[in-house]
Amino acid sequence: MVSKLLVVEDLWKFIDGKPVLRGVTFDVNEGETKVILGPSGAGKSTLLRCINLLIMPDRGKIVFDGEDVLRKRDIHSIRSKIGFVFQHFNLFSHMTALENVTLGLTKVKKLSKHEAEKKAKEALIAVGITEELWNKYPAQLSGGQQQRVAIARALAMEPKLILFDEPTSALDPELIWEVLNVMEKLAKAKMTMIVVTHEIGFAMRVANEVLFLDNGVILERGAPEQVILSPCNERVRRFMDRMKYVYNVDKGYAH
Amino acid sequence: MLYVISKYWPFLLEGLKTAFIITFTSYTIGFAGGICIAIARAFLHKVLKIIMHIYVELFRGTPMLIQLFFVYYALPEVGIKFDPVLSAIIAIGLNSAAYQSEYIRSALSSIPYGEIEAAYSLGLTKLSTMLYIALPQAIRIAIPTLTNEAIYLFKYSSIAYFVTAPELMYMGKLIATRTFLYVEVYTVLAMIYVAFSIVLSGVARYIERRLQIPGYIV
Amino acid sequence: MWQSFTPYIPIILSAISNTLMLAFFSFGIATALGILMAFIEVFATKTLSIVVDWIARVLRGVPLILSIFLVFYGLPSIGLVLPPLCAAILGIAIVDAGYQEQIFRSAIKAVSTRQLEAAYSLGLTRAEAFLYVVLPQSFRIALPSWINDFTIVLKDTSIAYAIGVVEVFTQAVHVAQVIMDYMWPLVFVSVIYLAICYPLSILSNNIHSKLKSMGMLGSGV
Repeated sequence: MVSKLLVVEDLWKFIDGKPVLRGVTFDVNEGETKVILGPSGAGKSTLLRCINLLIMPDRGKIVFDGEDVLRKRDIHSIRSKIGFVFQHFNLFSHMTALENVTLGLTKVKKLSKHEAEKKAKEALIAVGITEELWNKYPAQLSGGQQQRVAIARALAMEPKLILFDEPTSALDPELIWEVLNVMEKLAKAKMTMIVVTHEIGFAMRVANEVLFLDNGVILERGAPEQVILSPCNERVRRFMDRMKYVYNVDKGYAH
Repeated sequence: MLYVISKYWPFLLEGLKTAFIITFTSYTIGFAGGICIAIARAFLHKVLKIIMHIYVELFRGTPMLIQLFFVYYALPEVGIKFDPVLSAIIAIGLNSAAYQSEYIRSALSSIPYGEIEAAYSLGLTKLSTMLYIALPQAIRIAIPTLTNEAIYLFKYSSIAYFVTAPELMYMGKLIATRTFLYVEVYTVLAMIYVAFSIVLSGVARYIERRLQIPGYIV
Repeated sequence: MWQSFTPYIPIILSAISNTLMLAFFSFGIATALGILMAFIEVFATKTLSIVVDWIARVLRGVPLILSIFLVFYGLPSIGLVLPPLCAAILGIAIVDAGYQEQIFRSAIKAVSTRQLEAAYSLGLTRAEAFLYVVLPQSFRIALPSWINDFTIVLKDTSIAYAIGVVEVFTQAVHVAQVIMDYMWPLVFVSVIYLAICYPLSILSNNIHSKLKSMGMLGSGV
């Protein structure tokens, strides 16, 4: 019996008086991968940050793992169950790769140093970061490596949900595949994920559902084949035509 | 000429010792105070933030000499008396705390906000984020200014002369008035101050290099 | 309480002109010397720039009181007797020159070398390239620190008290000794310093933010 891990109801957020999110409503089942597509400034990043409470919405309801998140006082325990991967990696620059991953485990989950290192190393290996990189500082790693360490940092916390905010947008084109690779493995292993991205190839291969967000409103949602290849909404169709041109996706792409 | 000074070297040594005591103690007060103020300004209630702001602007906008005279001459009027060296330490320490808090505050603001977001996303509290992510980086970023402050304080310890604290300047004046060899005495003093400034600078560069995070470009 | 102090306010205020004279003259001399030394250090031959670098370090290493004492008490022995005001101006200028050298040196270095290449290929001499291309740009970069340095000089004028120059701090102390109350004179004179230094520090910060958002025009093109 698959349960609803996350329910977002009628979410509103105003920034400097302007509405960035306008009544966003959707839900996510356990084990699903949702991809959010849309133009820049549509509110996608804001939406993600509302879910893990980096930003507080002005109106609406968010229910995560059965709890009304906006009413809880201990936001830290909620955040520790939701992983977040940032566009610009945001690794702690004064710590090694290993230390970056163990920090959450020792300070938030209160594990012993020994335990934390064990879990951290498992997570790092799972994302393909091998031992010789564990003691390197972020500045000594490539973009792709840094982002994979960031994913390991989120993974090690054993979260119920991982949010990805344009994880490959800041990467050199050649390095994008190594990060997408890790994300696809996670999706196949049934990790619940919400991914904001422009990589529609990824969406076609891996998403259970695609949501199109524009101007704070969900214009269309459905299976990837539908929303990306033959959308109903006019605005969505215009966007997808351009994206398909750029990414060279056509009917026969998904494998 | 300068050899006559060699006769008075015990006095100079005493003065140097006092100068170091003043410098070291007030720098420590300044450092501890600076960190506390910087943290407080990031966390506390609005009213307390304003009080801290006023304190910092007050001590940075007025001469150290006024602050020194206030502690040594004005406070006794309301019953608080300190001896010369202690007055100097307090006044210079409070002054340094104001400056160091600004150095740390600007270093804190130069940390990419994304790292703070990442810390919060892991579930770290505001305080933990400050202690494990923000402060360690801020202090490293601020090290050049913080080491400069130490050298600066060593030179400014000389104002303790005005409240008759037995530090280097005071000793020098003592020797000079006794021997009438003003030029020689003051030249020797200058050499001592300059020598120590340069040595301290060297130590500072060494500390900066050792604390560098590999590959980290400030 | 404070009533015993109010009659003496004009005395303190009258000394503001001296304070400002001390500040402007010493700052002006220090700026000129500082720019000169910075220019030499960046553009001259290796040995000369090392010499200038060390001169600046020595100047920065001397405490202000000592500098003033050396000028006032020391110079007479080689025949040069200066009145207190001049001695103080010189004493402050010497030390500040060391700091200004540092400010302008890093500002000059921050102006791109590509600018220099462009200037030379137009046929400008080293001095012309410096005057017309590098200096204007480095001034912009140095501006926040330069203004900040002025506030430091202004506050340092209080040390002229050591040789009896009649500036605001000296007057405040004399008044305090007369009315046997240090608190009010000191508070009053603090306000005077704050009134000048605080606006200037805000100005300096604003210029700094503006430069930063424009890319600081630092090493680059």
